[in-house]
Amino acid sequence: MIDLIKKNAKSLQESLFSSVGSSVLTIATTYLVINFFRGMLGFAMTSDKDWLAVLNNMQLYMVQAYPEEDFIRVWLSVGLTFVLAGLSIGIWRNEERVKSSQIFNSFFKGGLGVLFFTIIAPTNASFMGNDGSVITEEVLSMDTRLGLLIPVIIFCAIFFSIRFTNLNFTVNSSDMVFFYLFLPVALIWFVKLPTIQLDQNNERIIPEPLMPIANTTKIPWTVIFVAFLASYFIGMYIKNIKSIKSAISLSWFLLPLLIFSWIFKKPQIEMSVVLGSDLPIFGFFLLWGFLVITFVNNSLFKKYYSTYLGVTFLLTIVGVFSGLPMLAKTCLLLIALFSVVVPAVSTSSQGKRSLLIVWAVALVTLTFLLRGGASDTGIVVPGSSIFGGFSLTWLLAIFGTYVSFPLGVLLALGRNSKLPIIRIVCTGIIELTRSVPYITWLFFASVTLAVFLPAGVEFNLIVRVLMVTAFFSGAYFAENIRGGLQSIPKGQYEAADAIGMSPFQKISLIIMPQALRAVIPTLVSSAITAFKDSSLVTIIGLFDFLTIGKTVIGNQSIPVNFVGHDRENLIFVAIVYWIFTFTLSRRSMKVEKKLGLGER
Amino acid sequence: MSIIQTKDVKKWFGDFQALKGISMDVAEGEVLVVCGPSGSGKSTFIRCINRLEQHQEGQIIVDGIELTNDLKNIEAIRSEVGMVFQSFNLFPHLTVMQNITLAQIWVRKKNRAESEEKAMELLERVGIPEQAQKFPGQLSGGQQQRVAIARALAMEPKIMLFDEPTSALDPEMIKEVLDVMKELAKSGMTMIVVTHEMGFAKEVADRVMLFDEGMLVEENTPEEFFNNPKSDRTKLFLSQIL
Ligand SMILES: Nc1ncnc2c1ncn2[C@@H]1O[C@H](COP(=O)(O)OP(=O)(O)O)[C@@H](O)[C@H]1O
Ligand SMILES: [Mg+2]
Repeated sequence: MIDLIKKNAKSLQESLFSSVGSSVLTIATTYLVINFFRGMLGFAMTSDKDWLAVLNNMQLYMVQAYPEEDFIRVWLSVGLTFVLAGLSIGIWRNEERVKSSQIFNSFFKGGLGVLFFTIIAPTNASFMGNDGSVITEEVLSMDTRLGLLIPVIIFCAIFFSIRFTNLNFTVNSSDMVFFYLFLPVALIWFVKLPTIQLDQNNERIIPEPLMPIANTTKIPWTVIFVAFLASYFIGMYIKNIKSIKSAISLSWFLLPLLIFSWIFKKPQIEMSVVLGSDLPIFGFFLLWGFLVITFVNNSLFKKYYSTYLGVTFLLTIVGVFSGLPMLAKTCLLLIALFSVVVPAVSTSSQGKRSLLIVWAVALVTLTFLLRGGASDTGIVVPGSSIFGGFSLTWLLAIFGTYVSFPLGVLLALGRNSKLPIIRIVCTGIIELTRSVPYITWLFFASVTLAVFLPAGVEFNLIVRVLMVTAFFSGAYFAENIRGGLQSIPKGQYEAADAIGMSPFQKISLIIMPQALRAVIPTLVSSAITAFKDSSLVTIIGLFDFLTIGKTVIGNQSIPVNFVGHDRENLIFVAIVYWIFTFTLSRRSMKVEKKLGLGER
Repeated sequence: MSIIQTKDVKKWFGDFQALKGISMDVAEGEVLVVCGPSGSGKSTFIRCINRLEQHQEGQIIVDGIELTNDLKNIEAIRSEVGMVFQSFNLFPHLTVMQNITLAQIWVRKKNRAESEEKAMELLERVGIPEQAQKFPGQLSGGQQQRVAIARALAMEPKIMLFDEPTSALDPEMIKEVLDVMKELAKSGMTMIVVTHEMGFAKEVADRVMLFDEGMLVEENTPEEFFNNPKSDRTKLFLSQIL
């Protein structure tokens, strides 16, 4: 053990104090870092800060003014997401093991971090009083500091020395997820938090003893945790079922749409309209697409293909300007496009089957969106938008990456396509989207977009914002991916051709995986940008996470007065943003490493 | 019965004519070696046979199917014809095993176990069964080329095309690849091999052809080709290369 410490000390000395210059640099940087954190901690601990402004507004932060009687929708959505996540982790469970020493080491490091802050925290700090004078006060007494230091030191010592015992085991790295989730869920059952209440004179009081967290928070999270656990085991059990992986991937793709219509729309759909109009239209176009797919290799169909296309386009044009229901019009546009695409892509029997699935899913989604989108929302919220806070930021982030990512892939492929019309359209979309600032697109969504949509179709502001966001980040993704595509040597295409792969197989199994791998760092930074840029929606009157902290709570005077406490909230918001983006970039580093295995 | 037949095949890249009317036949089980100076159109010609390049005039008939723009014919022919490239072109993101099973699973629609069995069989045949779980980047050039041969053979092709399979290899690795090819030739596979390895041509070729400036200059048995060539162009070529 002594040897180990000596060795570490030696390597530290070599890396930090190898020369006069580097010693000076090391000392100066350490001094700056310590002082920075001292300042931050002192700032956070003075008595004029009211951290309850953060703690007591969690609901506002999460969902803004979403009506409480509809919270079940939010919980269901979160639950569904976790169930899908559990299934996916179970199905894709990897066999990688994490060593116990690694786990202990990370605890030890975490303890060291806390130790560092406890040691450097200032005893006295000053702040600006109401009259402009500087007030200095004691923020951390020696007793408190010692009371903190001793347990932290013991904690560190335990996890440091544990590696010299023969306690050695390994944990499946997928199973670690439960540990990470179990901790917070267990914690909410024990933590007691100060909760502000008002007395008769509207003075705020904090009842003693402190109150536990409300059941309406604890119980749903616990249920979700259990459901997650269950679906993990189910996932492991069903992982060998044929096409289960594609089914789960497809569910992930459709999940945002479902959640969206649940939380946001609470659509009031009349069954008579669905049965009398939607279903027949849906069936008709499903059959049409099916016929096109079936007969695509038929010589008679091939002979009259251009006639067929002409008639379809004519029908589409006539149909769009007629009094047909919206769904029929959109389906007409879709079938025209589909008829152009089908002969161009794979027409093996396997290809035909996947084409049919794609067609059916497209139709279902379209019907769903149009019916849901055109119906009135059953959710009434005071104020302009339906929900805000973290849900909104999260939703925008998900759309900013998740929906726009496939869009980006398609746009990138389209831009490289041999068909001039597709290439021109895709290039146009990309260039148009990228050449205008995001804020302009937001204004476009809030003010102008309605003009471009067909009469009778109205989307809520959030939907419109999501639409432009998907395109905006999609365009950036597309350019990144195109860069990746260009880095794939021609020989890869030829090798795939030479073993008889269809164009679709070639792209999805050979080209895309390599192209994406080449651009993971840029893709992640695009995703992080999309996540952070979502805070710009405040400019068109939506209440994202940041706006809640800065503007809403900073100006809140009823029921509790928090006016002027926006700094605490800004720090909180910054920390939350940091946690998410940092996690994302760490994960991407891991993925990169894993994929780097096959690097030439 | 000839399995490959070409009639007056012509091919232009823009204004430049790379093939100036190539007519030839390959019988089933025959091993054909194609040689000629760099830029003479050898690669272009064999790439036309599985439609990696499109010829503009003339006819190419492979196993009774004429090559046209019809997608279906192209797919049918590509699954009959295996190809091995100068630069291996293995898929770097997949393991050796996955490289070999990919086409069986996705194109031939075989199940995984069956394709892996076949892949192991082929890896034994090319002599590197122990490398199955490695990535191409972890193998030597000679090993990579042997994996590429196994990958092509996994489709159970009737014809194998080789485009200078040993030109990118260090001398000590050339032999291991040539040995695999010789074994393949003796097993009765129809092969067209573009190569400058004259030893290989002498040992296993049934016929040798010389390309020059997009034309088929000489077509002969190996003995005649090396000892008693018909054209002066062949004599010049042989004097340069030997
Ligand atoms: N894709 C292409 N575009 C333009 N010219 C090409 C292309 N591929 C080959 N060529 C030209 O065609 C000629 C024949 O090339 P190639 O068949 O590769 O020759 P070889 O394999 O005999 O060395 C060369 O002059 C080459 O420059
Ligand atoms: Mg060549």
